Amino acid sequence: MADQTIKSDAGMFDVELLLKQARTYLAFGEQTRQFAERFQESLRNEADWVKALRQHFDLFREAMAQSAADPNVNPELARLWTLNLDTWQQAVTSLPPVPFALPDQQGAAWGDYQRAQADYLELLRQAALAALDLMEQRLHEQTGDAQPPGSLRGLYNLWVDCNEETYGRMLRSPEYSLVSGRLFNTLFACYPKDGIHP
Amino acid sequence: MIQFSPEQITEELQEFAARLAQGAKMLGEVGEIEAGVSPRDPVYQEDKLTLYRYRPRVAQPHPVPLLIVYALVNRPYMMDLQEDRSLIRGLLDAGLDVYLIDWGYADAEDRWLTLGDYVHRYIGHCVDVLRERCAQDTINLLGVCQGGALSLCFAALYPAKIRNLITMVTPVDFHTPDNLLTHLIRHVEVDALVDTFGNLPGQMLNFTFLSLSPFRLTGQKYVDVVDILDDVQALKNFLRMEKWIFDSPDQAGEAFRQFAKEFFQQNKLVRGEVMIGEQRVELRNITMPVLNVYATQDHLVPPAASKALAEHCGSRDYSEFSFKGGHIGIYVSSRAQREVPPTIASWLLER
Repeated sequence: MADQTIKSDAGMFDVELLLKQARTYLAFGEQTRQFAERFQESLRNEADWVKALRQHFDLFREAMAQSAADPNVNPELARLWTLNLDTWQQAVTSLPPVPFALPDQQGAAWGDYQRAQADYLELLRQAALAALDLMEQRLHEQTGDAQPPGSLRGLYNLWVDCNEETYGRMLRSPEYSLVSGRLFNTLFACYPKDGIHP
Repeated sequence: MIQFSPEQITEELQEFAARLAQGAKMLGEVGEIEAGVSPRDPVYQEDKLTLYRYRPRVAQPHPVPLLIVYALVNRPYMMDLQEDRSLIRGLLDAGLDVYLIDWGYADAEDRWLTLGDYVHRYIGHCVDVLRERCAQDTINLLGVCQGGALSLCFAALYPAKIRNLITMVTPVDFHTPDNLLTHLIRHVEVDALVDTFGNLPGQMLNFTFLSLSPFRLTGQKYVDVVDILDDVQALKNFLRMEKWIFDSPDQAGEAFRQFAKEFFQQNKLVRGEVMIGEQRVELRNITMPVLNVYATQDHLVPPAASKALAEHCGSRDYSEFSFKGGHIGIYVSSRAQREVPPTIASWLLER
């Protein structure tokens, strides 16, 4: 008897993942469109292209920083650079819930976990802001022989490349290893010491 | 940025939204996603393990069976993903008699399984089943990724049962400077993890893998897929890969504890200090011919981590095959289909 192949229907695919990213991309596009309008305006008033681009990036950076301080300001924009924390939180929700009535010790543990999350988020934020600097630099370089992006998607792809580069540097740092280790360890500490497994 | 206007951006966004709306309909109609395409028959079962034999594609397959030991992480159908992306099919076409261990999905009753269970008992029993079934004193063993590390342990402990050993994208030295997984697990309190959760939840592993390249793996990929939502075949290929990525079995607690601490954190394999049950693993006891296949752009198992086998194993017939690609490309890229199975098959058939 031949073994059945492993089958699933498309319902197995988490369409929400796709839709979330699509919404985030649309938010990226909308943000870019608004800045492009302002950029054209500033070009009309500013003969120095480099200066205009810098002003443009300062606005973008400001929007990113705002979304970092309070993700509710623009949650879709914040999702652009908090992807990894989002994936972490999805993983955490697959675990048994942290016991609701926390004794004091576990309450302190929950606080430690929140601080580890905040530190992790700060690392992501720094990498995202560094990516904007890198993107600005790449766009400058592309005013020479290289072609600048000719479409929103091209710009998005450049943004992804820059983020992967700065994130990758951060990922390889001793600090990331420590902070991500703390993220795991402080989460474990929120559970009873004798474990939750059968 | 300066090459297009706000109006162009608006137009592009509208097109994207329209493709997305149309594609959502296609996602509902795409039907079953199949993975693991080559016909196969179960020949042995123990606990959750199933040993499969793939149906030969030549009249007289090679008399010495080839046993594939896949990693405990993720599912082995990556080796046989679809008709035009199947290393197993390539090995069958080359005339080999191919068997594979499917570990199944660990659950609470597997929490106390140790590496001793996996190596001595599970791999050991499968090897003995094939030796008896095929009337051979020795068989060929192909270990993949973590399954390669387990295969190294087995081959070092039972060299008389293995005729040829092939390791594929297999970590040996876990402390090469470019080993990102070791870097990420370095400060994780593995004992606390296992004591808390029992088995390691698959989602936690998945987070670790996705965190290596989040902007591509959890962002850009889903923007790009909107472009192919109207192409049923391309969409099915994408969904098949998605299924594999998120099909992450939990890891048996005690086995994970030992693997994470002794292999990743303490690098005991190359130091000859790993104990599987009561027995010490000495890589120099691997004296059979060895083919070590690694990928030049592997971000999970860097080439240096694999190539360390050359200086630690005891084989006088040691060869390497350097595949130009990454950890996943070595299974599914068209280059892999052209290069990897013929290389493995011809190396085996010469021995």
